[in-house]
Amino acid sequence: MSERILDCTALTKRFGGLAALNALDIHVDRGEVLGLVGPNGSGKTTFFNVITGIYRPTSGVVTFQGRDISGLPPQRVYHSGIARTFQRSRLCLELSIFDNIMIGNHKRLDLGLWNNIFRRSRFEAQYEEGMERAARLLSALNPDLVARMFRPVGDLPMIDRRRIEICRALVGRPSLLLLDEPSAGMTHDETRQLMDEILNMGSYSDGLTIVLIEHEMNVIRRVTDRCVVLNFGQKLFEGVYDDVVANPVVQEAYLGKDVE
Amino acid sequence: MNQPRDFVIPGPVFCIGLAVFAAIYLALFLSSESQAAILVYMAAGGMVLLLNNMSELKPRLSEAIKGNERLCNRLAVAVVLALTAAFHADHYTLFLIGTILLYIVVVLGLNVQLGFTGVINFSCASFFGIGGYTSAMLLSKTSLPPLLALPLGGVCAAVVGSILLLPVLRTSGHYAALVTMAFALLFRIFLEVNDALGGPQGVPVRSMSLAGWDFGSDLVIGDLQMSFYVSYVLLGLVLLCLAFSFVRRIERSWIGLSLDAVRVDETASACFGVDVARWKITAFTIGNFLSGVAGALYAMMLAYISPANFTFGDSLIFLSILLLGGVGNSWGVVMATAVVVLVPEKFQVIQEYRYLIYSALVLLMIVFRPHGILPRKTRIYRPGEAA
Ligand SMILES: Nc1ncnc2c1ncn2[C@@H]1O[C@H](COP(=O)(O)OP(=O)(O)OP(=O)(O)O)[C@@H](O)[C@H]1O
Ligand SMILES: [Mg+2]
Repeated sequence: MSERILDCTALTKRFGGLAALNALDIHVDRGEVLGLVGPNGSGKTTFFNVITGIYRPTSGVVTFQGRDISGLPPQRVYHSGIARTFQRSRLCLELSIFDNIMIGNHKRLDLGLWNNIFRRSRFEAQYEEGMERAARLLSALNPDLVARMFRPVGDLPMIDRRRIEICRALVGRPSLLLLDEPSAGMTHDETRQLMDEILNMGSYSDGLTIVLIEHEMNVIRRVTDRCVVLNFGQKLFEGVYDDVVANPVVQEAYLGKDVE
Repeated sequence: MNQPRDFVIPGPVFCIGLAVFAAIYLALFLSSESQAAILVYMAAGGMVLLLNNMSELKPRLSEAIKGNERLCNRLAVAVVLALTAAFHADHYTLFLIGTILLYIVVVLGLNVQLGFTGVINFSCASFFGIGGYTSAMLLSKTSLPPLLALPLGGVCAAVVGSILLLPVLRTSGHYAALVTMAFALLFRIFLEVNDALGGPQGVPVRSMSLAGWDFGSDLVIGDLQMSFYVSYVLLGLVLLCLAFSFVRRIERSWIGLSLDAVRVDETASACFGVDVARWKITAFTIGNFLSGVAGALYAMMLAYISPANFTFGDSLIFLSILLLGGVGNSWGVVMATAVVVLVPEKFQVIQEYRYLIYSALVLLMIVFRPHGILPRKTRIYRPGEAA
């Protein structure tokens, strides 16, 4: 059970003089839920951005399922099996629920001009399949949405938008899911509900591994197997939740910045 | 349709009624000469649109149109055919109709670029012109069948457009706009100094001919004498139907989805495998191809083209049509093109001020109705599907 799905060594990302990630060693085991916590600006989102190829690392190596993926463009990272959500929900608000989910299904879509334009039967078969997949995912999160598949996402409340982001990330059956503060903009109850739903989704993609960035320590306690605490781009502490909150260094880092 | 209502007019009847109304209105508008009458028609048209917007007719109308998409497409073709028949001897009106049809093809191409993909292009009139000059040169210097000039005009426009690909991909926003503006100006200068292309005076273009059917002379069938423009209107209509259904199919496919994804959020889309550069190239090329094809036929219809037909100002007109009609919406493009071409031609008073009026209209639209006359709906993938 301790096969490493993701392994980062000496990962560094500088923005000018600022080291947003500083010689970071983080690994994720297959099937676990890893919590990534730390004060604001400690480099959590940057870590996701470097892994998914939005930023190139300044130095260091990212190995995913045995392959070196450091510095690959985001498209290649996606095809290798990593999907993510964004801290500030980045859905296409004017597009429909179905469209947004299908963007995540890109690796299965036939994008050839000929099949899309002239051989519509081919396209329609894929379309039916896409509808089925989207409906299956949505009905696990909020069955009401299935009937509103062609409504613009912008009409939906925050929790539904988060759900759709999760569907978009899961529809391509990734091996590793990166969740960047899924609770942002939601109430405690909604957050609890959503996290339960996400954990249940694990069965949709077998052996799903999750890295979760979260400020809500309640959520971290409930769902994570292990935590990594970042501070100024460096790993401050690593261990299970109870050890994390009991650790004086972690407490100081948090109390020094903002109280959780 | 299946909800109980006081009185229910079946959708198809609604659509046919609308088409008949549109045909009569356009026929009256096109046939009137007096400025007073035209002003009255324009006011009446505006009133009808406004009333429709406020009344409860609107949701039913849009439901009827959505539920009978194929019928509506056919009715639109029928309206153009009816107008062509009604004005079969009237050179000027037929020329206007032909111009509208070809302009729509250009703006549909622009729609793929800007409306779907968000690639800005301030030089679409230049690509329209490249098509035109291609057909002028092919018809005068080679003995290729004239019909071939249409696809070749499109190919030339697309190939020349690929020069701009690198800057359009590398830079974004304002810089891409500047690059295409610079190209439009360069294109004009290139035409003016190039004697082989007729310089500033321009060149004559031979007319289309199809299997012995000469588009350059009036048509005589029995006792019926028809303007030679009838041939151009018919061929233009075929071209428009092809372009329209092509753009529709792009929209309703994974390609359309990818183009939209690139426009709305490049970075997030890239994280889901969307190849941003590929789709920008595809959209830019398709748009320029459509402009080029339309330009090739337009040049034959004009019979004489010069650099003044393809200026930066014309590019701005194409862009303003797109903004007025509803960025992304193909039917909006059709309506807005008709308005922008017809109104200054018929209502001569504003001819001189037309740029002023377009700019004012575009500004008003951006402020009060940023999504155009007919805003784009969310994508459906098959006709008639519920939203
Ligand atoms: N594109 C960028 N250019 C310059 N500096 C950046 C950039 N992105 C992030 N940073 C800086 O890197 C540091 C880490 O930011 P990051 O967004 O990773 O923090 P975070 O841990 O996600 O914080 P939060 O909890 O507020 O989301 C911050 O100081 C931030 O200002
Ligand atoms: Mg963050």
